[in-house]
Amino acid sequence: MATNVYMEALSPTMEEGRVAKWHKRDGDAVKAGETLAEVETDKAIMDLVARADGVLRQVAVAEGQTVPVGSVVAVIAAPGETIGAAGSAPPPAPALSGKGKGETGNVGVATAPAVATVSAVSGADPSRVKASPLARRMAKEAGVDLKLVTGSGPGGRVVRRDLQGAATVAASPPTFPVSRVPLPERPEGAYQDVPLTQIRKTIAKRLATSLGPIPHFFLTSEVDMERAAEAREALNKQLGDQGGGKVSFNDIIIKATALALSRHRACNAWFQEDHIRYWNEVHIGMAVAVEDGLITPVIRNADVKSLAEIGREAKELADKARSRRLQPSEYTGATFSVSNLGMFDIDQFTAVINPPEAGIIAVGSIVQKPVVLDGEVTARRRMRVTMSCDHRVIDGATGAAFLQTLKQMLENPLAMLL
Amino acid sequence: MSGRRVRVVEAGRMPYHRALGWQRALAQARIDGRLEEDLLLLLEHPPVVTLGRTAQGAHVLRPEGVDVVEVERGGAVTFHGPGQLVGYPIFDLRGRPYRQDLHWYLRTLEDALVVALAELGIPAERRAGFTGVWTGGKRKIASIGVHVKQWVTWHGFALNVTTDLSQFERIVPCGIEGVEMTSVERERGKGKGETELWDEAVVAVMRGFERAFDVEITSQESSCWRCETC
Repeated sequence: MATNVYMEALSPTMEEGRVAKWHKRDGDAVKAGETLAEVETDKAIMDLVARADGVLRQVAVAEGQTVPVGSVVAVIAAPGETIGAAGSAPPPAPALSGKGKGETGNVGVATAPAVATVSAVSGADPSRVKASPLARRMAKEAGVDLKLVTGSGPGGRVVRRDLQGAATVAASPPTFPVSRVPLPERPEGAYQDVPLTQIRKTIAKRLATSLGPIPHFFLTSEVDMERAAEAREALNKQLGDQGGGKVSFNDIIIKATALALSRHRACNAWFQEDHIRYWNEVHIGMAVAVEDGLITPVIRNADVKSLAEIGREAKELADKARSRRLQPSEYTGATFSVSNLGMFDIDQFTAVINPPEAGIIAVGSIVQKPVVLDGEVTARRRMRVTMSCDHRVIDGATGAAFLQTLKQMLENPLAMLL
Repeated sequence: MSGRRVRVVEAGRMPYHRALGWQRALAQARIDGRLEEDLLLLLEHPPVVTLGRTAQGAHVLRPEGVDVVEVERGGAVTFHGPGQLVGYPIFDLRGRPYRQDLHWYLRTLEDALVVALAELGIPAERRAGFTGVWTGGKRKIASIGVHVKQWVTWHGFALNVTTDLSQFERIVPCGIEGVEMTSVERERGKGKGETELWDEAVVAVMRGFERAFDVEITSQESSCWRCETC
């Protein structure tokens, strides 16, 4: 059965459309989804797409010609169907003027990439294609229409080797989902210079003012997280019953850090050239990995917020950070920071201080380890925390005392209530 | 907020033909449903003159030393080169907040750039009948030319940030005689470094898209900040 090709509206108010270019000629085999012609308005071009497989016939509108929306511009005849003779309609007159623009049938148009083993079939019955099950699966995965593959197996059966070229071609354009600075193929040349993005530049600037000029030192402590894990499970069960969001280990760490800081103000400070500002308020910056960098949104007054509040806020800020929607007020003003790489299976690491803050803790992953408890070896969930200190503000013993409090709070979550 | 997300991909400097192949593949993937989200490709091309579907040969005055490419986008002749922020939205216009309306799409692209330029401190406007973005009444700062198939878009806009404007003397930009091209740098005056201005323009364009299209710009797949193992 023949299918009409209509002039389509590029916008609801459009009454007529101009055919800018035909991609297919009278008598060409076409398949559903293929571009037949381009319609133009303003500075937009829209493809008129075939709605059926078949042969293009009765091209009624020439390039450059304008016709009302809804009028028939061509007909797609089913294979074998006779609607006028091939080539009987005059070829559409080229309408674009200017040098080199006469016949434009094969000028850089958006046709599908040609596949060596794929060729258009005309006249054959397309409804039934002989193919091996493997070939069928490969075709499906590669998005190749089996009807268009010339089989090389017995009786024209499509077999694996017929699809290998097709699969390669289908797979070679960029893979999805795209990742950071994706390139469709291996770029030419030995290297590629990628300009620094704004966030990369800021990181470079800020961190270079940290590890170089700031006299860092590091303290590491291993924390038993067994009780914190139990408390978290119980808490989440309760929150789950109430339909609330879950509390993560990171939320517990933020809360415990804030509480420990409120008891160790000497570590909750900014170094400011000619003075040290000891903060009474505790604002925790939490490092969030974003594409191409990191940013530390701030949970304000974390020492007085509930775990559920911290959890909600942390999630919201992390989401905003990843979609680059943080307002400056949401990522400035931290008095101390927490960086957690536990989710990447990092046992222990050192973090770079975010000036003017005087300290940051680096949190590793929670791992089951054999430990000696009450004279017996037992498996416990353990976590390593490393604190980086600015020695201009925090001395060894000062930092150690803070870290000890933090450890106690995490090992005995009830201590947070004291 | 419509809640619709657009992933921004900053692709650096990329030869025109490669970016074109990439766009076509991405658009087809979007049409076929293999690509599930809308993309905004942001990049820059080495010098190239492109001819849209309404271009005339006579509008290329000096083709020496530069590639001239004929492409399927709407519009006439234009120049791309270093310092020009080129944006290719691969949007599926079916479904909110978009419309199946190419005039709406063109006008909204213009709006996005007007907002972006406002963020950069440059008052800009549309001109009825002259697609693109203009400043000071008659200086053109951004060009637009798009293509759509089954309501999925490709091609897009070109915003002059620090473009060498003398390159436009090679052509009759947009086929409009006597049009004066300008750039963010020219309108704002020197002062900022080129890379700084570029980064500012990138951020401004993202904001412009968010506001004009009512979408959320993301530049990262969600990662496991709060995964249950830690």
